Amino acid sequence: MQGLEYVGHALTLDRRAFGLLDHGSGGLRLALTVVFVAGVSSAVGQSLVLFANRVAPRRFAASLVLSGAVFTVVYLFWSTSIWLIAGYGFGHPRPYLNALRTVGLAYSPQLFGFLVLTPYFGSAVAALLSVWNLLAIVVATSTVFHISTLQAAASAALGWMLLQLLQRTIGRPVLALGRRLRIAVAGRRLVPLTEALENERGL
Amino acid sequence: MPLLDPWILAGLAFLALLLAGLLSPLEALGWWAGWYGRRPEEEAVAPPWSGEAPPRQFVVFLSGIHRVAGRPFARREVALLERLRERLPDACFLEVFPYSVTNRALTGQRTFARFWRWALRMKLSPRALAHTAGMVINLRNLWQVAVSADRRYGPIYNHGSAELITEALLAAGYVPASSTHVTLIGYSGGGQIALGAAGHLDDILGTPVDVIALGGVMASDPATLQVGHLYYLYGARDRVHRVGAAFFAGRWPLLRYSPWNQARARERLTLLPMGPMKHDGNDGYLSATALLPDGRSHLDVTVDVITAILRGDPAPQRLAA
Repeated sequence: MQGLEYVGHALTLDRRAFGLLDHGSGGLRLALTVVFVAGVSSAVGQSLVLFANRVAPRRFAASLVLSGAVFTVVYLFWSTSIWLIAGYGFGHPRPYLNALRTVGLAYSPQLFGFLVLTPYFGSAVAALLSVWNLLAIVVATSTVFHISTLQAAASAALGWMLLQLLQRTIGRPVLALGRRLRIAVAGRRLVPLTEALENERGL
Repeated sequence: MPLLDPWILAGLAFLALLLAGLLSPLEALGWWAGWYGRRPEEEAVAPPWSGEAPPRQFVVFLSGIHRVAGRPFARREVALLERLRERLPDACFLEVFPYSVTNRALTGQRTFARFWRWALRMKLSPRALAHTAGMVINLRNLWQVAVSADRRYGPIYNHGSAELITEALLAAGYVPASSTHVTLIGYSGGGQIALGAAGHLDDILGTPVDVIALGGVMASDPATLQVGHLYYLYGARDRVHRVGAAFFAGRWPLLRYSPWNQARARERLTLLPMGPMKHDGNDGYLSATALLPDGRSHLDVTVDVITAILRGDPAPQRLAA
């Protein structure tokens, strides 16, 4: 099965794609590529904040790449927490790389993140992609760790909560670094559109 | 596989529509970000007021989604404006191209200007197939209406439209901070653009402006609560207006706290039924040939109602069909 075929099957929530990736030796590069491109695509869909802050075209492109990298880091943390909870919490430990490969492939729906740019329908598309992504992660987790769908959903949810906890505790320096990097790459502090408009009007 | 397979054509058309939608916010966003430099002057807009006394009011017309530039080519819109100018000689009427915050005509200084000129030729063609191909202009402009109605992009697009309208007003002799009244008339999709811009104009001009939406395709925009008054004129046979009312959830009566329904409750929004009129064409609001039982044409009624509103008539609905 080729990379795009894996992605196609992951999009249809086909367990075979995750199973094949689980039992194969490669696939980490594919997973990381999917996650990074999905991150850049999602950043394109949510690029309003860059436009609102009048980020110049080159810095704009660099900001998208940085967003892809940040997205990948978040994926690594979430995959790790899912690996811990599904593997050790539910008593089905699997190799760490298997979790990384399959959960990464499950990010395939976010490859369409750029569609969030569409006016008026964009917010609905964003919600749809989030649900689709979550379902893919549940199917991937269930397949790799040989646990029920409910246990997989609990692993994903608890993993996400663990990620939030980490972000608010020991992950703070990492978040602060991410913010500093964003400002450095964009060339300015990024403010919400409403604030940018108020600045324009001199309010 | 033959290229003319209907399913392939339908798929290609859908992809083209999706691509057009994806690209549609970029003009406004790129303008805001300063990626395109200053606005060109090609579409500047308003001839200075030539009357002896200052105008008693300014009226800015924003056309329907068929428009490619600031100047109208649709004879019915030309006729509407001529009739309104005759009825209100002390009002200054202006036109602004509402579907480009960069103030560039589709057929002007654009990379794809040749394509839009071709589309305009098709649109003006008497042949049905060619005319249908020319509808690509409507689709392009419809996406700009969606940008204006979008809660994310709307503030930028509507701020840009408000700046364009302000420039047109100043060029025509509007005195800032004067008490001269300003009304925007938006036809079809121009109704949304007018409403969105009006929400920003009150900040720029320092006074609320009124909006008259003729068969308006418009969302429950937050600006509905900021305009002086919104008059919504609709025909009983206007399917486009009905699509808009169904499509934008904030206009459903069920959602009582949406800006649209709040404005209705506060009597800042008046719905004016115009009788058995369609959106456009021979039975549309601007038809001079379709007659009502009282002998007036659709255009007569539309002009009567708009004139009554602009004159401050407290009950313009009595002039509708």
